[in-house]
Amino acid sequence: MDILFFVILMAIFATVFIFLGYLGYKKTKTAEDYFVAGRTMGALVIAFSYGATFISAVALIGFSGIASIYGHSILWLAFLNVFVGIFIAFVFYGLRTRKMGLSLKAMTLPELLGNRFNSVKLQQVSGLIIGVFMVAYTSAVFLAISSLFQVTFGIPYWVCVVIFTLVVGIYLIVGGLYAVMWTHAIQAIVMLIGMVILTVGVYAMLGGIGPAHEAAAALTPEMLTSIGSPAATQAPNGLTSMPSFLSQPFMMVLTIIFGVGIGVLAQPQLIIRYLTAKNEKALRLAVPYGGIFILLMTFTAFSIGPLCNVLMYQNNIMYPTKDVAGVMTANPDAVVPTIINELFPAWFILIFLFAILAAAMSTAAALFHTAGASIGRDVYEKSIKGQSSPQKSILITRIATFVIVIATLIISLNPLDVVAFMTAFFFGLMACTFLAPYTLMLYWKKTNRLGVWMGMLGGFLFTMAWYILIYFKTAPKIIGTPLLGDYMINMLDPIFIGLPLSFLLTILVSSITKQDTEEEIIMKRSFENI
Amino acid sequence: MEEVPLSLILGMDLGVFIAWIGTLLAAALCVLYGLYHQLIKKTGEKQQSQKEPEKTQEEER
Repeated sequence: MDILFFVILMAIFATVFIFLGYLGYKKTKTAEDYFVAGRTMGALVIAFSYGATFISAVALIGFSGIASIYGHSILWLAFLNVFVGIFIAFVFYGLRTRKMGLSLKAMTLPELLGNRFNSVKLQQVSGLIIGVFMVAYTSAVFLAISSLFQVTFGIPYWVCVVIFTLVVGIYLIVGGLYAVMWTHAIQAIVMLIGMVILTVGVYAMLGGIGPAHEAAAALTPEMLTSIGSPAATQAPNGLTSMPSFLSQPFMMVLTIIFGVGIGVLAQPQLIIRYLTAKNEKALRLAVPYGGIFILLMTFTAFSIGPLCNVLMYQNNIMYPTKDVAGVMTANPDAVVPTIINELFPAWFILIFLFAILAAAMSTAAALFHTAGASIGRDVYEKSIKGQSSPQKSILITRIATFVIVIATLIISLNPLDVVAFMTAFFFGLMACTFLAPYTLMLYWKKTNRLGVWMGMLGGFLFTMAWYILIYFKTAPKIIGTPLLGDYMINMLDPIFIGLPLSFLLTILVSSITKQDTEEEIIMKRSFENI
Repeated sequence: MEEVPLSLILGMDLGVFIAWIGTLLAAALCVLYGLYHQLIKKTGEKQQSQKEPEKTQEEER
């Protein structure tokens, strides 16, 4: 494919986004404009922005690569993405979050927690946790896109990262959440076009849904070994069958599914989308748009991942590999890019490239915005004595966002390991830290400050300890040998223990301690419109 | 390639098929939820708001 053509299109793409950044800048007058787009967004923009934030390049490339190893059992994650990630999220969390956010005049998740429990420290600590770990997650987004660019063009990783960061950084810092959400709407459309064509193309090549799945089911471990696919050992019951209960592949699928599938409910960058709704109806009507969008993203990505093995086998393409410390190992992140490069026409390579670019940019912009707000508004601004003016508040967050963009750039230039696990790490950590306090804050009037502190810190510390000492993907890199040798425990996502623990701590401590008078007044005000 | 076992549904075993159809049904649920709030509930709200002034008129009488 002609790289000049790509560069021209990329320049148009960047110009449109920077122009939207300028429009956002003109429209941003108050802190509310910068942080929650003036609470004026309609259903379609909310749904597309939520979807584009949720679905990163990691989900499209990383997880379809993972599906090429573990087979269609990963479709359980697509089910959770739609049912929990959209339906439960909007209906049971979104509507209440918006109402409570309005009552408490909150514009971020830490601010919601801080205002609800009358604690600046709670806001600062949760803001710090979000800001720091979000940088790590954003670096995973960069890593995913580098795979595609390296496979497709051979463009050096650092060039992609620098250009990509500059474009996102400019429109985000200048235009605030208005720019982010408008660009998300465009990016979501590009993503939809790319994924729909890819899915239709793959199924058409294999003769339709039934024949494609049957062809995948018929691949034996020997056939998979002949193309170097790790599915030969990791999908022992076949690509379209569930792995045996409690086997290693089963535990792997389980940890991937629940870390991300449930973790979605407590993602600060997604929770902000509820606060941007102009009214309740906009949130309710975002449900069908969001459901269809996520269906066309994850369901398609996870469906085609395993089918890539069939295409590779039929077309004598070897499973992609990468050099890890001198050893060639399977590279699932390069599976879909390889198939597109080998079997699709040049025009589609360009479309898909932009779809992935859009996915990565949209997620990165939302993460930068949330991390900037966390560090700028929730941590720094709250440490200044006295009330900041709206202009000063925006300026502080713009500077904080700039610092975070630069920090992410530095980390991304020294990339970390497999992308999908970074997503699982972040989603799991956010869920274990915030989901219990956030849920109980919305639904249980007796929840109090001390309970929330205990639940939040208990969940956070447990999850960190689990990742450092036990979890099979992270512990070996940090302490060498995990403390426990049993694979069933090592492979268990901390969400299975950390989340119930966090709920238990919040409920237990809130039950045995009382709200102070101020907390009680705020609690009554928070529930007034619910 | 080997012959596909007969127990497969659309080429998938039961566990995978439930996930596959479950995802489609979850998306359908989202669409129905939106339609309900856009069409049925809206009509209900309109009817309710039309009834309210009548009540007020009756009360005035």
